[in-house]
Amino acid sequence: MKPLSIGRLSLFFVMAASILVIGLGGYFWLEIRQATNVLRSSERDSARREVAQALVTVEQHMRDTAQALAQWEETRQQLVFPEYYPVWRDSRVRDAGLITPRVKSVALYDKTGMILARQTGDQALPNRLPSKPPFVRYVAVAGQHQLEAFFPVFSDPAAEILLGYLGLQFDFLAELKRAHSFRYADLSGLKIALPNNSQMDVKNSLAYLQFDALPNPNLLAFLALFQDSQLRLSLAVLVSLVIAAWLMKRLVVHPLRSLSSEINAMRTVDANIAHGLIFKTPLNISELENVRRAFSDYQERLFALHENLEQNSRDFFDQARHDALTGVFNRRAYDEDWHGLGEDRRLGKAALLLFDCDHFKAINDTYGHTIGDAVIQAVASCLQSALRAGDKLYRLGGDEFATVLLDADPLQAEIIAERCLEHIMAHDFRQYGMSEPTTISIGIAHSHAGDLSLSELQKRADLAMYAAKRPASPKIVCYSEGMGELSALVANRSINAVFLAIRDHNLIELTYQAVMRLPMVHKEYVEALTRIRLDGELIRPDAIFPIVQARKLDAEFDLSVIRAITRDMANGRLPANQGVSINLSAPSIVNAKVVDAMLALVRAQTNRKIVVEITETALITQMEIASANIAQLRNAGALVALDDFGSGYSSLRYLATMPVDLVKFDISMVRLLENGDQRQKVILEEIAGMVISAGYELVAEGIETRAQLDKIIGMGFTHAQGFYFGKPGEEVEPMSPA
Amino acid sequence: MVHWIFLILVSLSVFSAPVLAEPVELVMPNKLTAKAEFHKGDPGKPTVLLMHGFLQTHEFPTIHRLAEGLASAGYSVLAPTLTLGVTHRKQSLACEAIHTHTIQDGAKELAVWLDWLKARKASAIVLVGHSFGSVETLAYLSAYREPLVRKLIGVSAVEGRLKVDGPRREKLIKEIRALIKAQNKSLITEQFSFCQKYRATPESMLSYLEWTPERIIAEARRLPMQTTFIMGSRDDRLGEHWIERLQQTKAKVRVIEGANHFMDGDFEFDLLDTVLLELKTL
Repeated sequence: MKPLSIGRLSLFFVMAASILVIGLGGYFWLEIRQATNVLRSSERDSARREVAQALVTVEQHMRDTAQALAQWEETRQQLVFPEYYPVWRDSRVRDAGLITPRVKSVALYDKTGMILARQTGDQALPNRLPSKPPFVRYVAVAGQHQLEAFFPVFSDPAAEILLGYLGLQFDFLAELKRAHSFRYADLSGLKIALPNNSQMDVKNSLAYLQFDALPNPNLLAFLALFQDSQLRLSLAVLVSLVIAAWLMKRLVVHPLRSLSSEINAMRTVDANIAHGLIFKTPLNISELENVRRAFSDYQERLFALHENLEQNSRDFFDQARHDALTGVFNRRAYDEDWHGLGEDRRLGKAALLLFDCDHFKAINDTYGHTIGDAVIQAVASCLQSALRAGDKLYRLGGDEFATVLLDADPLQAEIIAERCLEHIMAHDFRQYGMSEPTTISIGIAHSHAGDLSLSELQKRADLAMYAAKRPASPKIVCYSEGMGELSALVANRSINAVFLAIRDHNLIELTYQAVMRLPMVHKEYVEALTRIRLDGELIRPDAIFPIVQARKLDAEFDLSVIRAITRDMANGRLPANQGVSINLSAPSIVNAKVVDAMLALVRAQTNRKIVVEITETALITQMEIASANIAQLRNAGALVALDDFGSGYSSLRYLATMPVDLVKFDISMVRLLENGDQRQKVILEEIAGMVISAGYELVAEGIETRAQLDKIIGMGFTHAQGFYFGKPGEEVEPMSPA
Repeated sequence: MVHWIFLILVSLSVFSAPVLAEPVELVMPNKLTAKAEFHKGDPGKPTVLLMHGFLQTHEFPTIHRLAEGLASAGYSVLAPTLTLGVTHRKQSLACEAIHTHTIQDGAKELAVWLDWLKARKASAIVLVGHSFGSVETLAYLSAYREPLVRKLIGVSAVEGRLKVDGPRREKLIKEIRALIKAQNKSLITEQFSFCQKYRATPESMLSYLEWTPERIIAEARRLPMQTTFIMGSRDDRLGEHWIERLQQTKAKVRVIEGANHFMDGDFEFDLLDTVLLELKTL
């Protein structure tokens, strides 16, 4: 049920009270009318009883009058000597005062009942007695209503000597009216329903009398007083109700409506919670005033709570948008700001800078999370200090940071990026117990005159970042059109292929590049190079491994590669006894599943040479585990090679600490042997000599010419590989030494 | 003093030993029944017939008290009521009534009553009339000769007229006689006696008017028996010098000083005493 408003309730109350007053008035009016009717009925009954009594009185009066007249001596005189009877009848009997003027006629009858003298006219008594007196009767003749009484007249008191009879005729109405002082009966409108020429006993005539009851003056006065009182009372009550309604409207309804409106306004979403006494209008009803004050107090507390909530919300918002570790904006803020900039809106002049801490996982694993966190904090602080005021620094996750430089041209972006790099390089990370410096890679993408969407800008920055991450790349890379080939790194198809290959090693297509034994220059084993063939398209390693590394999928991918090699061994693609070199990433060498799988392969292939090439050794964070695993592999019969020696991923420290059998000179170093200056050549020759002297077998990568082959053979390299010996997958024929 | 003691004794005897009255009804010659009251007394004493005044009955107080007193004294007393044309009359007849009776009718009725007394062995009869009853007894005595009637006592006897007198009366009498002669029976209304409007037939009116004072005096002088008139000195219903005129007759006139026409009050005893004294003279 819909609740009613106080105004409607008040109106309903006033109307109900009015109806009640009118109803009660009507009820009392009906009650009084009913009581009045009862009284009137009672008065009519009293009137009839009164008339009946009057009739008895009339009859008795007639009897008394007739009796007195019959006993009058002059009556006897006339019956004896009727000579002067007319005189007696017409004057004497009236002059004597024995009869009243209401006696219309007097007559005497002899003993036989015959009238002494005939009468004529309306008032004539019958000439002959209708029956034997005494009797009294009611007679209606010619519209005249009269009573007639007939009595015997005796000469002696003992009523033994009958002289004759006496007849009297009365005016009925006059006699009736005289007979009684009527208190109830109103005989002014008396009607007699007796037909003409009829006669009856007087008492029975009551049934033919029609009359009203006299109006009761007390009752009329009471009714008038009641009506007046009721009218005044009703008016007083109605006026009181109107005043009450006005007072209720002024004191209750209006304040309640205002209060309700103010409260109702608070229901709207955009309603502001005001401060202070909200419901300012004082209410005249103490309970309502208490409600108003309670609401105001409640409002005050609600305001305080709201402020507190807003503050908390702001805090939560800030916390939600800030990275708890570094204090800079977090990934959520980055996404929201991106969303704020508009996904489809093309930017004007802007630059997106992505920062990634090099080898942070290795740092974290090596020095622990506490130091890792400190490194991240330091990096964030350095980057923040290097940015312009107003530039936002976002921590996208882990060791990745980003900033958007609005209204920045490429030059300004590079300057800022270099400043960031300088701040990082200037920071003393040794204070955290680290022995090597922390570096970052920076990818920059520019938007010129709004020619790029945000997503495109994001993609380009990613590509630039991956380019910067590549070995031997500068730490600051601005996106250029030539990086389009790297787009596979982030292409959805390549990523999908990597994940599918992890689940299904059959998608991995291995090609085998021969590794030649020197100085005889004959194939000793082959290195498995990984590709993925998805829907007929071949995805190359330069598109695979950045994804694997970026997605931290090294172990899972290496496991799938091991399965693929096992497959090739099984299906004969790798001939029996054909040695094979398998690349394991740094995370894989410390992964139990990978090591176990590798051990199982080595143990299953005891008749062939198995070389495990550990790439990106700089990323090995758990050196002891890695060393133990390497020892296990070596003990199982496998040879371990340190890949990319001389590049940023491998250094003498790892050579010194890791129990490897082979060292693979990075291609950059091989090229320096041919193209480098004298000093570089000397250094490389000395390093190669030192490694060989230390007992390691030394493998040269990227041998493309005979001169290069001769050179390394001259330097004592034990193995070589490269296009000079054939492209991967091609059969390699033994070559003659130089 | 002795007189007063005597009266007291008589009164005591009256009230201590009331005499029972006997109602008597008697059919008159005109077929009307007349009523009377009879007190039987000592046979050796005369019988008293008390005649009431004009239009009265024997119940009139003066007559009634006198009858009681006389009966107590041992006298037989008959107090009749003239019918005046009304049978069984026992009430006074109004002046305005239609009077058809004549004074002679009354005399006839007195004669009947005297016959009734004689039938009861009355030895001597004394007629006592009060007021106009005295005239009525005179009318009887003038018309009848009854030897047993020994004495007439007229108490407050009137002259028969009061309002009509002198030439007017004579003129009225002539007119009535003319009416009677012409057999005109129209009722006549005149002042008569104490009546302001006395309505009567011509014969009735004339019978009473003919009893003039002079006729009364004359008749009184002619009475052959003892006649006594007992008058009140303060009777205002009498004409001038009426008592003196009565005294000029041979009748004895006793005047009770201070008594009025009705001899009421203390004078009833004087009246009774006087009547008794007169009765003892027989």
